Amino acid sequence: MTVGLEHYIALSASLFAIGFFGVLLRKNTLVIYMCLELMLNACNLGLIAFSRYHGGMSGSIFVFFTITVAAAEVAVGLAIIVALFRKRQTVQVPDLNALKN
Amino acid sequence: MPTETLKSLGDIAATNSWGAIYPELILGCLALALLALEVILPKFAHGAIPRISILGQVLLLGYIIIFDPAGCCNGIAFGGMIELSGTSQALRIFFLLASIFVSYLAMVSFENKTLARVEYFAITLVVTGALSIMAMSNHFVMLFVALETATVGFYILVSYFRQNTLSLEAGLKYLIMGALSSAILLFGIVLLYGAASNPAMAGSSLDSMNFQNLRVFLEANPTDTLSILGMLLVISGVAFKIGAFPFQIWIPDVYQGAPVSTTAFLAVSSKAAGFAVLLTLTKVFSPLSDWLLPLLSGIAALTILFGNFAALTQRNLKRMIGLSGVSHAGFLLVGVVAVQTVPEATNWVLFYLFAYLLGSMAVFCVLAHLPKEWDADLSLDDLGDLAKKNGFLGIALAIGIGSLAGIPPLAGFIGKFLIFVAAFKAELYVLLGVGIVGVVISIYYYFGVIKAAFFEVWSFTDEDEKSDAPAVLPGQSLTALGRLAIVFAVGGSIVLGFFQGPLGSWLSGQ
Repeated sequence: MTVGLEHYIALSASLFAIGFFGVLLRKNTLVIYMCLELMLNACNLGLIAFSRYHGGMSGSIFVFFTITVAAAEVAVGLAIIVALFRKRQTVQVPDLNALKN
Repeated sequence: MPTETLKSLGDIAATNSWGAIYPELILGCLALALLALEVILPKFAHGAIPRISILGQVLLLGYIIIFDPAGCCNGIAFGGMIELSGTSQALRIFFLLASIFVSYLAMVSFENKTLARVEYFAITLVVTGALSIMAMSNHFVMLFVALETATVGFYILVSYFRQNTLSLEAGLKYLIMGALSSAILLFGIVLLYGAASNPAMAGSSLDSMNFQNLRVFLEANPTDTLSILGMLLVISGVAFKIGAFPFQIWIPDVYQGAPVSTTAFLAVSSKAAGFAVLLTLTKVFSPLSDWLLPLLSGIAALTILFGNFAALTQRNLKRMIGLSGVSHAGFLLVGVVAVQTVPEATNWVLFYLFAYLLGSMAVFCVLAHLPKEWDADLSLDDLGDLAKKNGFLGIALAIGIGSLAGIPPLAGFIGKFLIFVAAFKAELYVLLGVGIVGVVISIYYYFGVIKAAFFEVWSFTDEDEKSDAPAVLPGQSLTALGRLAIVFAVGGSIVLGFFQGPLGSWLSGQ
């Protein structure tokens, strides 16, 4: 069996779905954050696969931008999570319910 | 081969017209200058930095309005990355105006807090530049990078009060929701790129993330499943940013917890940028309009109804404003749907955005001057007798809220009226009906705010609970600059309602 474009896209779509449902279903903020990163990486895999099999360069170049963006998001996101943990001693989503009407 | 590559790179470099994006470059330089000033200036002079930021923005805005109102270099630039037009120029003015108000609001609400301040103003400028570039992007790479520059900046601005749990919690919720929506948008881009770069399909192109190339491809293949799926994901990602139903869940919490200046920034600029992107993308996706228009119409109707019904029961002021903003997003979506058949309605959507800016900023300026340590707790009770304690703020609040509600002589009314005319011309009668129902419902909760501010409120606070500290009256921190900002927002709301004068020909699409 040769590995073709559709296998890469199927893998990318499954990774994206795993990440998406992880964000919706998991309770720990850090795990949710990992799931978000998984979704971005699934996108990267899709971009690379399309770029490689269709012969254009723009997809491969876009990946550099998304990696940079993901790094910036992690830097800011972890800072917010750490600051919140210092205040509340928890990063479990069900405990973060101070905002209400 | 290498000479050929070099030549094509040279052709692309020749389209780098840096002069076309001078306002964004100046904003970026101003942001860096503020950070440098913090190091250079002695400690006692740090209070001047926010004023320098506001002054710089006012000068830039004045220059653009006087010398360059229509945009100097309209057309495609930077190798197809951006496309400048009258719309992007109007939005550029919009974002600058909003950012001046946001800087002022931040100046007021940081007054008695121990916080690093300069960063807030610098990030505000960078985010404004990014939003402005987002509005003119013509390529998915540019769109994504500008969007993320703005979103990552917003994460910081939302959680800026880091001594306050509510602000941090709002920051975390915005972080998760923002990152999720960016990932969905990105996956949509991947699918569209994959579909449109397939050499086996008609109309494919190697640079298929360029909007013109993508449109050519979609025109050749209007029923391609992969592109329709990609379009749905991209629209969902944008719907998150504008807070349209069913992606509005983050709005009340984030608006409540964020500092009031950030709430204003999110409610006005971030939403407007989302609509700018939507206006561009609906043009690109127009070959798929069999799918797109029913989808957008449904979202618009549900957004109007949900926003208004959810706002009815809110006592917290910032949550209420946030949910009423959801219903405004619904009205704007009706405008976007109408633009597809009535092209001149683009300028009417922009007019609605300007009316929304002035009305919202009047309200947020009043909120910033209410005495409360953390503005996340502001509720209707805090408005008690505002008109008696400070008539100026009371009238400003009444006019701002009146304009948002769409009371006849004010700008908000003309905005809603134009949207309804557009919906009528485009024969969207169901959406028109839903919009009118929405306006009627919204009057109930908007008048709740005015009632709380103008009429005696019976409150059952125990005598023991009253603190011994002298009561702080609303508006004690009001300076000449603050009066000027409020007079501008309120005056603009009134003047644009009566007299659209110079905007008349622009509004009629000439």
